[in-house]
Amino acid sequence: MKEGFKEHPYLGNSQQDVDEMLQYLGLKSIEELYSDIPDEIRFKGKLDLPHYKSEYELLEAIKAKMSKNITTREVRSFMGGGVLDIYMPALQDEVLRRTEFYSAYTPYQPETSQGTTQALFEYQSMICELVGMNVANCSLYDWATAVGEAALMASRITKRYKFIYTAATAPNREAVLKNYVVGANLELEEIPYDPTTGKMNIAEAKAKMDDTVAGIYIENPNFLGVIEDGLEEIIADAHEKGVKVVIGADMNSLALMKPPGEYGADICIGEGQTIGGGPLNFGGPLLGILAMQFDRRETRQMPGRIVGVTITSNEGERAFANTLETREQHIKRERATSNICTNEGLVALSCAIHLALLGPEGYKDTAETMYLSAHYLVKELEKIGVKRVFNGEFFNTFILDLKIPESKKQEFINFMLERKIFPGIPYSNDGENYDYIVTTSYLLCEEDLNDYAKAIGEWRK
Amino acid sequence: MYRQAKYDEPLLFELSKKGRRAHLPPRCDFSRDDINIPENMRRTVPPELPELHEGEVMRHYVHLSHQNYCIDTGTYPLGSCTMKYNPKINETVARMEKIMYLHPNQPVETVQGILEILYELQVALGELAGMKHTTLQTPAGASGEYCGLALIKAYHEDHGDTQRDEIIAPDSSHGTNPASTVMNGMKLIEIKSNEDGRVNMDALKAAVSDKTAGLMLTNPNTLGIFEKDIIEMSRIVKEAGGLLYYDGANFNAIVGKIRPGDMGYDVLHFNLHKTFSTPHGGGGPGSAAVCCNDLLEPYLPVPTIEYDKDKDFYFYNHDRPKSIGKVHGYHGNAAIALRAYAYIGALGFQGLKDTAEHAVLTANYGMRKLEKLDGFRLSHTSEIPRKHEGVLEATPFLRNYDVSGMDIAKMIISRGLHAPTVYFPLIAHEAWMFEPTENENKDRIDQYVQAVSEEMEKAKVDPDYAHDAPKWTSVGRIDSAWSVRNLVLSYKIYKEKKEKGEFVP
Repeated sequence: MKEGFKEHPYLGNSQQDVDEMLQYLGLKSIEELYSDIPDEIRFKGKLDLPHYKSEYELLEAIKAKMSKNITTREVRSFMGGGVLDIYMPALQDEVLRRTEFYSAYTPYQPETSQGTTQALFEYQSMICELVGMNVANCSLYDWATAVGEAALMASRITKRYKFIYTAATAPNREAVLKNYVVGANLELEEIPYDPTTGKMNIAEAKAKMDDTVAGIYIENPNFLGVIEDGLEEIIADAHEKGVKVVIGADMNSLALMKPPGEYGADICIGEGQTIGGGPLNFGGPLLGILAMQFDRRETRQMPGRIVGVTITSNEGERAFANTLETREQHIKRERATSNICTNEGLVALSCAIHLALLGPEGYKDTAETMYLSAHYLVKELEKIGVKRVFNGEFFNTFILDLKIPESKKQEFINFMLERKIFPGIPYSNDGENYDYIVTTSYLLCEEDLNDYAKAIGEWRK
Repeated sequence: MYRQAKYDEPLLFELSKKGRRAHLPPRCDFSRDDINIPENMRRTVPPELPELHEGEVMRHYVHLSHQNYCIDTGTYPLGSCTMKYNPKINETVARMEKIMYLHPNQPVETVQGILEILYELQVALGELAGMKHTTLQTPAGASGEYCGLALIKAYHEDHGDTQRDEIIAPDSSHGTNPASTVMNGMKLIEIKSNEDGRVNMDALKAAVSDKTAGLMLTNPNTLGIFEKDIIEMSRIVKEAGGLLYYDGANFNAIVGKIRPGDMGYDVLHFNLHKTFSTPHGGGGPGSAAVCCNDLLEPYLPVPTIEYDKDKDFYFYNHDRPKSIGKVHGYHGNAAIALRAYAYIGALGFQGLKDTAEHAVLTANYGMRKLEKLDGFRLSHTSEIPRKHEGVLEATPFLRNYDVSGMDIAKMIISRGLHAPTVYFPLIAHEAWMFEPTENENKDRIDQYVQAVSEEMEKAKVDPDYAHDAPKWTSVGRIDSAWSVRNLVLSYKIYKEKKEKGEFVP
């Protein structure tokens, strides 16, 4: 049993301060400030929580627990699915640890928050560059919630209540989409993909679009890793029918692939963690990207905060501030475009720093490495007779045809772990046999790729 | 004397010059010639990202950081935001390799450490809530509200009460409450507050019906006043077949003192970035936890994180047929949850309770001192003690001196202090919502009140001084109307306007 303490580093006031304040208030004890609360609901027991820890003890206790984890720096990761192991340059965390950024509030008083507002404006502007559009908000929670928000936004713009999406959408994003549209009563419908190529069935997509459809959601490259084609045809058809096109883009792929804005998409979403938002962090915090083509009416339907340029009381002075706030919950309440308040601001800042460090050349370098590593690996695997499930073109992700039965799955995981490999994300069409979704980051070198192919070869023996 | 830095800092794009490099990422030796993206999907024009030297990037962000006010700069008494000190050890633990480099889809046996911590945090938060079940999947307070209300909705639907689609909330509620209600496809029934700022019981009785899904209520409310009739409210709502939602934004007032579960609430969300000290990050990331009782447990988002005591093993439970599904792509903001875990560990059960008491003491002390200033009055009633925050009204000052609550806020910013939350809640006029938290000591509060007093005296003599505030900040008073009229929302638009010869600052 530890002795209690009277003062604690997290409390600003000593007993003397407390006494002085009580005296000013004419009170004998702090308890009197709770005197209006009925006795019957007061908690009189002892909380079933541990005693306080000194900072040293706390650090050691957390370290001890966390040591049970095995990280992607101890075992080589071939996992993607929407998040990716990345390298954060030393400068990045140097900035992120600046308390001026991380311990600031939302810039509701912009005169004294120009650091945050300018940085977020730069973030928005860089995202616009990547996706080929000219408006981006300053973040949603993650890619998955961005799908939900994009569907709701398309519905508000078109005043239609059906949303269609391809079956090659990641299951976790699909799950959040399904959840987000319940309130607005949107009907969802799935567009199948070709079982050989993994590409969306264009004829089916066109057949499903009519004047009741608010929007269509297409991931490109899709969750199966495959690069879609025929998008221009679908988009032309969609626009003829007044359907909004939402593209879910792998943000790294956009270094090599045409930006969605260029091929006519109306809205682009994606995950910003993979382009510098932050380390994997066990899947959070992440960074939901949302961008669109500017339209005076439609941009007002965008959810989340947006920073804009503005003027001040000093002649000629440029400043940055939250704008179009009348879309937001703190003003519009039940008529707001979304309930989002706290967003992922610091992760957006992190992403902006990362992109500023990479520049166009670095951004392209990383994407090229991801692409080439994946294609090299596929060739090495094909040499030993292991193929991809889908034969469509791909960027850095493909599904490896392994057909591992449920009963052998754990054995496979252990087998690969012994070789210091996380082989990918298990994927099953029938719930019995598992293929693996394999993704290459730019952190894997040729030796890692060779080891992977070798391990798969050994497993098959 | 306070002067905030001012650099006229160019945008990154304006600092850029072709060919400069700030970072060399790892690059494989495979031949670039092998890249073969289908032609119709190939990028032809590279994105115009800035091209800078590494040192230049650092300088840019150092300049920007100097133009930011933060909790470590000074008093930041934003009401309902709970801007408490962010303990530095939290940042240290969040940068352990053992959290940073965990992929959320890793095999469960390789993430036992983080699952143990998340599980223990669930249990600890459940203990503070007085409710047994917790999810950490919700990445922010509004997401927590959305999730908690979805649980209520699912419960009614599961019990065949599909007509129950009304959420009752007082007019003093946070803006997220009505917005989260509508996102769940439910209707908001707003009830008026009494003159003393509490829920009007007659209005509540009149509002409940067989369409009532639940009551959404923060307690203490946004005026900092405890809703002492909560047990009666709970009875009224439950007799009508509804459930009770606790908006935990104001939980800092009652940590360890009163448990929402004991007040009759069925579900709540906690903002880990408020009560549990994780940073606000200039807007996020935050994190929320949703706690609920047995009634609502079957509907929690999948997967839940559970513990098998016999095998001493933590695992995901996906097999929850009544679940509302997922509200986040993965497990929520795990790295934020880890910080909250560290905070709870540092304080322990006694310390947590002390934070609530000290937060309430500093709020009452500061508020009573501000109340005495000529031009301020306490909103609603002066009789009842406030809890973690109080709302002052600058109405007399506006009437007598033509200087608004916003003007006073801007003058305070000139002094190197941060304004309270202004113009919220909407049921107060010229509102100044003051929440110093347990971190501000008496001296700091005295200095704050002194600064407010001095600024108000200056404004009395010279109202234009107030209208022109703030001075000494990086930029002058913001004209937000201009930004809405002109909508310069990206550098692309900025450049286009400039090229077309339109005015942009």
